[in-house]
Amino acid sequence: MAEVVLKNLTKRWGGFVGVDNQSLHIADKEFLVLLGPSGCGKTTTMRMIAGLEEPSSGEIWIGERMVNDDLPKDRDVAMVFQNYGLYPHMSVFDNIAYPLKVRGTPKADIAPRVRAAAEKVELTHLLDRRPKALSGGQRQRVALARAIVRTPQVFLMDEPLSNLDAKLRVSMRAELKHLSRELQITTIYVTHDQIEAMTLADRVAVMNHGVIQQLGTPDEIYNDPANLFVAGFIGSPAMNLIDGSIREGHFVTTGGTRLTAVRAADRARVVLGVRADDLRVSEPGEGDIDVPIYAFENTGEATLLTVQWGQQRVIARGDRHLRKEQNDIVGLSLNPDHLYLFDPDTGRRLTA
Amino acid sequence: MRDNTLKYLLVLPAVLLVFATAIWPLVESLRLSFTVGRLNRPPSLQQYIGFENYTWAFLEEPAFWNSVWVTLAYTAVTVSLTTVLALGLALLLAPGGRLRSGVQTLLILPFAMSPALIGVSFRFMFNPEFGLFDAFFGFFMPVFAGVSWLADPVLAFAVCVMADIWGWIPFLTLVLIGGLSSIPRETIEAAQVDGAGGWRLFRDVTLPQLAPVLAVVVILKSIFSLKTFDQVFMLTNGGPGTATQTLSHYIYFNGLKYGQIGYAASVAWLMVIPMIFLTYAYAKFVFRKD
Repeated sequence: MAEVVLKNLTKRWGGFVGVDNQSLHIADKEFLVLLGPSGCGKTTTMRMIAGLEEPSSGEIWIGERMVNDDLPKDRDVAMVFQNYGLYPHMSVFDNIAYPLKVRGTPKADIAPRVRAAAEKVELTHLLDRRPKALSGGQRQRVALARAIVRTPQVFLMDEPLSNLDAKLRVSMRAELKHLSRELQITTIYVTHDQIEAMTLADRVAVMNHGVIQQLGTPDEIYNDPANLFVAGFIGSPAMNLIDGSIREGHFVTTGGTRLTAVRAADRARVVLGVRADDLRVSEPGEGDIDVPIYAFENTGEATLLTVQWGQQRVIARGDRHLRKEQNDIVGLSLNPDHLYLFDPDTGRRLTA
Repeated sequence: MRDNTLKYLLVLPAVLLVFATAIWPLVESLRLSFTVGRLNRPPSLQQYIGFENYTWAFLEEPAFWNSVWVTLAYTAVTVSLTTVLALGLALLLAPGGRLRSGVQTLLILPFAMSPALIGVSFRFMFNPEFGLFDAFFGFFMPVFAGVSWLADPVLAFAVCVMADIWGWIPFLTLVLIGGLSSIPRETIEAAQVDGAGGWRLFRDVTLPQLAPVLAVVVILKSIFSLKTFDQVFMLTNGGPGTATQTLSHYIYFNGLKYGQIGYAASVAWLMVIPMIFLTYAYAKFVFRKD
């Protein structure tokens, strides 16, 4: 168990910058999620920590040691890969036992520890099988067991759930969370799935273009986004981003509709962010504005209304019993307590 | 016409072609191997003599046994050396540096050369008076100064082996590079993180996953080594004496030089037996189902 510290870590391939001067302090026993779209540098960051990729500059510290020049095997980390990375020619038992075997664990200790790890992920009945004979979820469990069979300083998980089907992903996510709370080992987890990030993380680092956009608890990331990218990336459906301006203390859309009062100085150009949940759907005339429905979707647990608001489309979440048709007119009102204002040029959040 | 009939009609030309060029000669040579089969006699005198050709080879012909041993030794040495060297080269070239594609193109060049030409050029380079290699070895290893390589039974064999390895390494290296790059990268990386260093990584993870391709390489090379003819023919012509006379060369000499076509056919059939085993194994590995 150890803290992990990245100091000005950079990875360049020729002219392309994969990870840009990144510094990050991950506390002991923390579960940190690196979240971002593909190509944002999250996997590269993790691979550099594992030692599978060499940084162009910067330092990586695990515990009290700078590990830049250490081989992966000397860094005392365990990794779970997206495609599992199981050894196809070995049985499940031998797969899980491999990290112990190769590190010279006494033979008598290996079997009980493999069994203990297999038990934690409910694999004991499959120990004699080859990976080929397992389902995706079972393979992922083997990969997990192989990681927890030792007690490494750090767990690295590279999109471990992405290859599973949706249903399995949800149950494995809960198991992962349970396991991580039980094991109390520093974990770095890479994903592009914001639900995984929100549910698993102690802290989330949202990355884009090789730079951490925001680092904070899931709460902070969701309720207090630092910039347009984070606001648009987190949440499902994504936060509505409406172009407009601020005049005399009110937000005015580009179409000229004068909306609710905002606590900000007047500006010629601004982006208003509002989540689907913070838009209240009502009968025409009862809201701040009347808009036609572009599409009405019933998800069972709620309804999603995409409305045509001038040139833009906005999504609002309605009651699950609400029934509307396309082109119906509805009233929308904005919850003034949960509005976000962004500078359209820099993307930065404007604070009141 | 029904589709069923049509489909047989469509493959018929190919079947006839295979029959005329492969099956019939094979059967005919089997028939010949049981006859006197002399090229200088009319067919009426080439009577059936049962297994006499075979017993002659086994019991009365030290030259036959000599060529068997030469072929086996040649196969053992060339297969093992070529495989090990090609594997080493493949491991060096596989990770993919900048030079890789360029080097791979260069690699294929020796393979593009006809074995007969390789034989001629090696004979030239080992010429005791003006040969490049002769001078080279003589300079760096004084033991070999002034030695006529192709006149010495052991050294002539060594030259044949060298020429063979030189010609074969490139192709087998390419095959092994292909095999290496089909190993999932994540298994290698998982092993690195799990704690495996260079040699253990190779032994525990790379080699077992490369095994099917390696088997194909060994079998394929064994087939080619067993039937070696052209290179030896041009390089030493089986000499000095019969020191480098492979089975193929022995068959050629008896059949076409001495005209004992029946006897040559029987020896050829003796060679077919291990070949069938090897091709069977080869097909099994190549068309294996995962």
